[in-house]
Amino acid sequence: MNIKKFIIGLFILTLSTTGYAQVSSKKTLTLDGAMKVISAAVDYAKKKNAPGAAIAVVDDGGNLIALERLDGTFAAGSNISIGKARTAALFKKPTKGFEDIIAKGRTSMVALQDFTPLQGGVPITLDGEIVGAIGVSGAASAQQDEEIAVAGANAVSSATPSLSVAYFDKNKVSAAFAKGAPLIEISNYKVHASRRTEPGIAEVHVKDTDIIYMLEGSATLVTGGEVVDGKTTATDEVRGKEIKGGETRNITKGDVIIVPAGVPHWFKEVKGPVIYYVVKVS
Amino acid sequence: MRQIIMSFSLALLFLSSVVIADLPVKNVLTLDAANKIVEAAEAEAMKRGATVVIAVVDDGGYLILLERLDDTQVASVDVAIGKARTAAIFRRPSKVFEDQVREGRIAAIALPGATPLQGGIPILYNGKVIGAIGVSGNTPQEDEDIAKAGAAAAAQAIKGEKK
Repeated sequence: MNIKKFIIGLFILTLSTTGYAQVSSKKTLTLDGAMKVISAAVDYAKKKNAPGAAIAVVDDGGNLIALERLDGTFAAGSNISIGKARTAALFKKPTKGFEDIIAKGRTSMVALQDFTPLQGGVPITLDGEIVGAIGVSGAASAQQDEEIAVAGANAVSSATPSLSVAYFDKNKVSAAFAKGAPLIEISNYKVHASRRTEPGIAEVHVKDTDIIYMLEGSATLVTGGEVVDGKTTATDEVRGKEIKGGETRNITKGDVIIVPAGVPHWFKEVKGPVIYYVVKVS
Repeated sequence: MRQIIMSFSLALLFLSSVVIADLPVKNVLTLDAANKIVEAAEAEAMKRGATVVIAVVDDGGYLILLERLDDTQVASVDVAIGKARTAAIFRRPSKVFEDQVREGRIAAIALPGATPLQGGIPILYNGKVIGAIGVSGNTPQEDEDIAKAGAAAAAQAIKGEKK
């Protein structure tokens, strides 16, 4: 009896594996993910003082997952934002491309079904796969609609840690150090190839810990204390004129210094071009 | 120069207050309040393990906020919007029309802009309809219960927002 059951079980198992082999799996955007996209888009819209925005997030089938219309945005914006998102998802392209094609004379393209060829729809990509799209309508201009959409789409794209290996050859690295530029910025860490020729202003990163390795030059670094005239300049970033109090150190080539998240720091004086490698962990 | 500007703006102020005095004022549902309404409905849905779409529209029936809970059938997006829109523009629960049809008034199906299915509830403020919530994805009764939980939170949400 038991053997019989076992054999039946095996048989079912075989059947089901065959069944699995015929479908492929695909990442899907959750409501949580969609809300993250919308909140990043709203943040951007507010930062840019957009007069309004309706923001829609759809899945890979163009079906709405979440929508928000900011106070004061014209009512028609909701449907237009859904249309833009849907078009970007189903055609797997930013909608601006279609607006451009039509503007250049391919007017008959407007006859396509389920098609809103207006700038402001952008696909949401996860690990190289399009999982949905965001559409924005009701901001200051078509250009701003799109900027808000891009800001939203990036929130999810960068929220997923990349599993691929990042490699920067020495030319790329020295080019980055030559002007002081980020090498990589993803949600859980950032790596900057920093260069400084002049003193800086006081900085506080609310979420990022700075791990600094001095490669060239020397500087006077003030840490701790209080930021004078501190203002929030971006999400989780405070900047101020200078630091009152705190600890002053002279840091030079070869030194490593770690500034925990939330601690003010200020490159008060800089001798020669200072080149330093920074890992920002959040 | 400054005086000219001053009197000019005074004149403007006067003009605009005259205009305002001539028109009735209506209250408008904000995104913040809509968020709180959806939150309450979502909590109710979670409690029941229901997968639904929750839509909130303004008094013109236009979408302010929508959330589709994970795993909810996609067709419910349009149905939820339809129910909310019905409750908003007809200023009554969408169930009224479902009941009418069931009781034999088949013609109610032909009403322009109406989705005659229960699950759409108006959102009231000071006795006026300022918007509506629509829920779709589960049994008709459950959709309606979840919508009601959202609408019931409206009074609190709007009061909370005024502070």
